[in-house]
Order: sequence, then C-alpha cells, then structure tokens
Amino acid sequence: MNDSESRLRRRALAILGGMMVVFIVLSGLSFIGSRGQITPDQVTFGRYRAVEGKRDFQAYNCMGCHTIVGNGAYLGPDLTDIYGRVGPAWLAAFLPSPGTWPTAVAVSAQLQDSTIAAASKATTLNAYYAAYPDAREHIERRGGQRSYMPNLPFRSGEVGELLAFLKYTSEMNTEGWPPVPEASPRTTSSSAAAPSPPGPSAAADSAPADPAARGARLVKQVGCVACHSSTAQRLVGPGWGGLYGSEVTLTTGATVKGDSAYIDESIRDPNAKVVAGFSPGIMPSYGTVLTAEQRAEIVAYIRSLGKK
Amino acid sequence: MRIEYESQRVSQRFFMLMLALFLLQVIFGLILAAQRVDPLLLVGVLNFNVARAEHLNLGILWIVCGFIGAIFFISPLLAERELAAGWLAKLLFWAIIIMVVWNFLTLRLAQTGTAGWWEGQPWLQQGLEYLEAGRAAGILALIGFGIFAYIVLRTFPRIRDWNEIHWGLGIGVTALAVMWVFGLFFVARLDLQEYFRWFVVHYWVEGVWEVIHISIIGFLLVLLFGASIRSVGYAVFWGVTLVWLSGLLGNAHHYFWIGTPAFWQFWGSLFSALEPVPLVFCFWHIYLDAHHDNRPLVNAPAFYFILGSVVLEQVGAGILGFSMTFALTNVWSHGTWITPSHGHVALFGTFGMLSLGAAYWAVPLMRNVRNFDQRLGRLGFWLLFIGILGITTSFALGGTVEVFVYRVLGQSWFGGEVYPAMTVYRILVPVFGIIFTIGAGIVAFDLITLGARVRTRGPSSLHVRPEPVVAHAPVPMGAAGGVGDHRSPVTTPAAGNGAASSRPTSTHAARGWSRPLSGFEAGVWLLGMWICGGIITLGLLSFNLQPVRAGDPHVPYILAGVGYPALVIVTLLFVWRFLASLEARVARPVAAE
Repeated sequence: MNDSESRLRRRALAILGGMMVVFIVLSGLSFIGSRGQITPDQVTFGRYRAVEGKRDFQAYNCMGCHTIVGNGAYLGPDLTDIYGRVGPAWLAAFLPSPGTWPTAVAVSAQLQDSTIAAASKATTLNAYYAAYPDAREHIERRGGQRSYMPNLPFRSGEVGELLAFLKYTSEMNTEGWPPVPEASPRTTSSSAAAPSPPGPSAAADSAPADPAARGARLVKQVGCVACHSSTAQRLVGPGWGGLYGSEVTLTTGATVKGDSAYIDESIRDPNAKVVAGFSPGIMPSYGTVLTAEQRAEIVAYIRSLGKK
Repeated sequence: MRIEYESQRVSQRFFMLMLALFLLQVIFGLILAAQRVDPLLLVGVLNFNVARAEHLNLGILWIVCGFIGAIFFISPLLAERELAAGWLAKLLFWAIIIMVVWNFLTLRLAQTGTAGWWEGQPWLQQGLEYLEAGRAAGILALIGFGIFAYIVLRTFPRIRDWNEIHWGLGIGVTALAVMWVFGLFFVARLDLQEYFRWFVVHYWVEGVWEVIHISIIGFLLVLLFGASIRSVGYAVFWGVTLVWLSGLLGNAHHYFWIGTPAFWQFWGSLFSALEPVPLVFCFWHIYLDAHHDNRPLVNAPAFYFILGSVVLEQVGAGILGFSMTFALTNVWSHGTWITPSHGHVALFGTFGMLSLGAAYWAVPLMRNVRNFDQRLGRLGFWLLFIGILGITTSFALGGTVEVFVYRVLGQSWFGGEVYPAMTVYRILVPVFGIIFTIGAGIVAFDLITLGARVRTRGPSSLHVRPEPVVAHAPVPMGAAGGVGDHRSPVTTPAAGNGAASSRPTSTHAARGWSRPLSGFEAGVWLLGMWICGGIITLGLLSFNLQPVRAGDPHVPYILAGVGYPALVIVTLLFVWRFLASLEARVARPVAAE
C-alpha cells in the first residue's frame, strides 16, 4: 500500500469517527426531556398505566400483525393513532372479543363506565359518534360481523392497560406521519344522514311473539354472540348451551344455580359472580342499555338452549 | 480440488442446518402468504403474528448459520492453520440447535399473551419485530456469537499480519455480538425502543452483515477466479468504509416517524441516499474480479449465487432502498407493503444468496466431489431468483395501491376498501412464493445429497459430452504460502465441467448473447437498472402531487406499473447475460491462462 492510499484511508476513518460523534449528539438530542415528547409514564387510563400496556402489547406480539409508528407486519391497520380515531369506548368494546366487530349497543354499554365516558368526553352514542367519526363508520358498516382478528385470551386489566398504551401512542408527536388524507371524504359519513338508533329497541316492532325468539334476535343485534356461544363452547365468555338450570361454579369456589335471577344479574352486573376460569372486568354492565323486558327475553332465549 | 485443513469440515454441519432452517422459513412464508389471502386461515391454531415471528427468526438464523459455515470454512485458509478450538465449534452447533428449538416453541406463546416477565424482562418472547426472541434465547444467542467470535479470532494470525479480509471478518464477528446486546433490554418508551430496535436491525444488516458479506464475497472471488488479494483487499476496505460512511448516519431513515425529532429527516435522507454508492462500488469490483483473466466457471452454482447476491443487493438494498429512503417518499411508503418489497429482496437477495453460494462452494470440496451435476444448482438458482423478484414486485405493486387507498384516500382497512383493493397482489405473492419454494427445495436437495448421487451414477450419465481432457490434479487451496498466492492453484480450469463442453479449442459459444461482457456493457445494464429505480422513486414522490392527493392515482400507478416490472426484466436479462458470457468461457481457448 503506498503512502497516498494509506493517507486516504486514515482520512476516511477520521471522517467516520466524526460521523459517529454527529450520530451520538443527534441521539442525545432526540430523547432529552425538553423536547416535550410524551412518555408512557405520563399516561394513564383510569387506574391503568401505559407502561403496563406496552408490556401487554409486546406479550401478545401485536406488531406481528399490525404496525405501530409504521413498523410491524402490515396485516392489520396501523395502531399509532387508533385511540384518537375510534376512541376508548369502541376499543374497549372491541378488544375483549376482537373476532367480531362491536355493535352500537356494545359501545353504548362501555359508555356506562365512568372512566371510559370521561376519557371519551361523551356519555351518549351520538356524542361519541360526533367525537369519533371512525367509530361510527366501523359500527355502521361492520357492527356484529366477523372480523379478521382472532379472539385473544386477555386477562383482567389487560384491556385497560392496552387502552392506556394506545392513548400514549396516539398522543405521540410522530412528525406528521401518517399523512392526513386530503382526498374525498369517507364513503359512509356522507351516506348516513342520521345516526342509527343506539339501542336495539327499534327492532321490536316486527318482533316475533315468542320471547325466546325475540331474545335470539336480540343477542345478535346487541352483539352478545361475539363472546357467548349458543353451545357450551367457550368463546371469550362462558357458553350458554345447557347453562339454564345447571350448577355454575364461581371463581370463589361457591356454586350458584343458573336460573333467571342469576343470568339477569350477570347481565346487569357481570363482575358480581364470575364463573370459574374466567377473569372479572372483561364484560361491561348491560343493565342500563337493556331494559328489564329485553333481559327477560335474553334469559328466555338462554333457557331454550339445551346442552349441546 | 479438496480441502486443505481438516477442521474446515466443521462448517458442513452448519450448512446443512442452514438448509433445514431455510426450508422451514420458506414454509412459514407460504403460510403467511396464504393467511394474507384468507386472514381466518389457521386462526387460533397458528395466528399470523406467530407465523411471522417464526418466519423472521428463522430467516435470521439460517443466514447466520450460513455465515458461520462460510467463515469457519475460509478462516483456516485465511489463517493458514487449523481452526482453533474445533470442539467449541461443535458445541456451538448444538447450542444453536437448542436455541432454535427453544425459540421456535416459545414464540408461540404470543397467542396467549405470555412473555414470561421476570425482573422486568420478557424471558420467553418479547413481541418486537425481528427481535421476537425472549431474553433467554437472546442471551443464549449472545453466548453463541461470543463463542463464534472467539473461535474466529483465535484462528486468525497475529493482528499485525491481518489483511483487509481479516479485518473485515474480525470486526464483523465481533460486532455481531456487540450490536446484539442493544436488543436485550425492555424499553418502556416506544420511540426509544424503536430507536434501539433499529440500532440492532439496521447496524446488524447494514453494518455488520454487510461487512461480513463484502469480506466473504471478496475471498470467494479470490478462490473462484484467482483474483489478487491486493485488489480484493482494496475493494474490501473501501467497500466496508463506504458502507459505514453512508450507513452510520443512514440509520436515520428509520427515525423519521417513530417519535424522534424532525432533524433526522435531513440526515437520513442525505446519508442513506448515499448507501447505494458502496453497492455500486462492490458490484463494479465483482465485475472486474470475475473478468480479470477470463477464467472459466469452475463451480457454476457457487458463482451464480454470488452474482445473484451482488445484483439483488443492488436491486433490493440499493435501488428499492433508495426509492423509499427520502422523507418525502418514505412518508408514503412507511408502514405499507412497499417496505416488505424492499426487505424480501434485500435480505434474501444479499445475504441468503451469499450463504447459498458459499455452501455451493464449500460442500463439494468437503465431500471431495470433483464433478457434480451443476444443472440442479442452476435450476434452483433461477427459480429462487425469479421467485424472489416476483414476490418483491407483487409486494411493491400491492403496496402502491395500498398507499393510495389507505394513506391518500384514508379509506378503511379490513371489511373496508384497503384490503379488497389489494386482492390481486395478495394472490400474486403466494404464486411467486410457490416458485420460490420449489427452488428452495431443489437447492436444499441438491446440496444435501451432493456427492451421494454422483457416486451412484456414472459421469457419462451426467454429461453427454466427453469429460474434459485437461487433467485436474487435486490442488490444495492456498497451498503455496500466503493468501496472495491463491491465484494459480485455485482455478485449474478443467476442474469444473459446466453444462457445456470443455473442449478447449471451441470458440463458437462466445458470440451473440454469450459474447464477452465488456465493462461498458455492464455499466449500461447497471444504468438501466437505476433508470428503473428513478422511475420507481418518482412514482413514490408523485404521491405528494396535488392532483394525486385530491384522488387521482394515475401518475403513481403508471410510474410504479412501469418501474417495478421494468426493473425486474432488466435485472433478469442482465444476470442471464452476465452468466451466459461466463458460461461461454468454458469453451474458449485455455491459452488465456
């Protein structure tokens, strides 16, 4: 190697060293507090912390299907600002049973929760739709239909933690990415003039006389079947087949008779008596979004289901 | 030819393991492609995210196995002595198998949300793209990299006797272990976690693997064509230095939108635009080295894959990487199928092809197979080559549609508009995936059974034409002192017998498509590829135009529809042309020696 070549090589390596310094300085500037970038320890959702949500996000390998800040697997949509677009009530309704798209009633039920209502800044479905047009689009186009996402066995609290994490990511400053669409507005927001009725009551007009048949229709409209199967099979929650009249073992070890009172209570206050093997805090209360009559119809329907 | 050092044989087991993992990875790729067509396929049994984690991890592991095999094979030649601590190399092999099986099983736990948290770390799996392995497997891997680096560095001569290839490999195997450490921490901040994740992924691929890639290719060229160590050393030094000069700050192209400041957009756009420079430089050197004395191809499949590696690096890392490296194009391509389009051809093309090429070089020598039927290797190469380019084009065109429907129009995903709009391309991916899988199967079968088949069949059944008359006495590689002397013994021309006859006086083949490839012509081909790259880049850039943003997709669709297929066609023709001219050398007078 001649002199000029070795001088050139030394110079190249010196430049490389200089670039390393530049990189280190830029990296330091990227994470200093004064930048004002939000960090997960600043974000909670109710009593849930975003840091825990980050752990859940990794544990379920969410970025193995979705992308987050654009990195991941492109099978599902990007999740960075999903919280800001569909809102906490829709996510809270969706996540426990992601195999099915949430219905209007399911989202309404979530809005009964004070934490979710406060975070959504909405207590009624119409107010929620106004705040989160994407949630309305999802519900009106797909509510109750099967989604492409598998049901995941979320444990108690994990949905809340994930909400905290997605709240954190939606508040991150990602320097203008993803780009905001300037093109034609969404197809649905122009087509749907008035929001559809939030409750399932509208369907009552042409309802069949048999309460069990009405209940069978109701559980589809409400979206109960996203979590509960008509057989004894476990989906997200316990199966209904053969439930009526059976002995139900609870997480406390006690047993309770699966009668009308028990089923009605489980609809109104799902966490009062949790079936052994299931986590509390997954199902919201449907006590206010369903009338006593509607609950009775659902009970009648469950009663009609034999053990399959 | 045969091997010179007994301990080189240890590499064979790594090559065989590599092939097994490669096949498994390809099968998972096919499952993923099928799940893209029908996302409900195998739901609850093998969810997409688990299959993808397996696909990515196996992809990394088989390429690393190939690197280990290649480096163990050439280290004794570089050091002119036996591999140090051969027992450690055997231990490493079993450690890798345990780690692979363990990782394969624990990745499944993502379906139940089990990360194995203990002391704040996820020990079983950690759900980060490329770094899905849990801490247990990660630490095991770190120990493995440590053993690997130890063996290589112990084998090498004293540091003052190192040439550029020693330096490249020495730094490569050390940095392999060092960079891995940055992925072994749980980071709560998403921006900081992504920062460090790319630290590992980018610097592994663009820093470390690239250095190993350049060094191995350089040395294989010494072995294949008798290129001089001085010229290859020059190329290795400047190749590596240019890679780092551009890639060090080029990593900033991963820091555009992850929550890090906007100034990265400037640094990333500027320096990663320079990343193709070393690739063009290395490409030029492989052309020069392959043409420096017009020796015929001894081992055609080995050279096919090496050329494939350098060309696909140009296409995948160079051209497709370039097209999406500017903040103004990346803002559209980021998080869409445009990214896997680049990723597949860059990773498999550059590193996968190199590992397969190294295996094709080493395996016949270790088995002492002088004449093997090289047709299967050629066929396998072309199927893999066409398959990966097809997969890439399908992703790229699907991604262009995705950018428009998802990002420009802001339409809805599943059940909405985005997913149905991509249907054609979702189907095209597995179609080319099947071609790729057949190629992978052929190559694996060929390499695994190489030697076994030749012994059972007479040479005349393999080659219709008579065997070459020139004697090919087994010559030890690198025998006569000093790596610099590799030129003469290595490439005794008649040691190989390609598809064509080796009658030394024939000249008919060197015309038309098979005529010698001049440097000017190679440059024109390269320019052609880059013109296609320019069209592709303009296509991505055109998403910024006002009419496009208002809902008219014609400009980006036409540019992508022209650019990507044209790039594939030019690449295919060029590789065909390059290889045809080299194959024809067999028939040219040996007087050129």
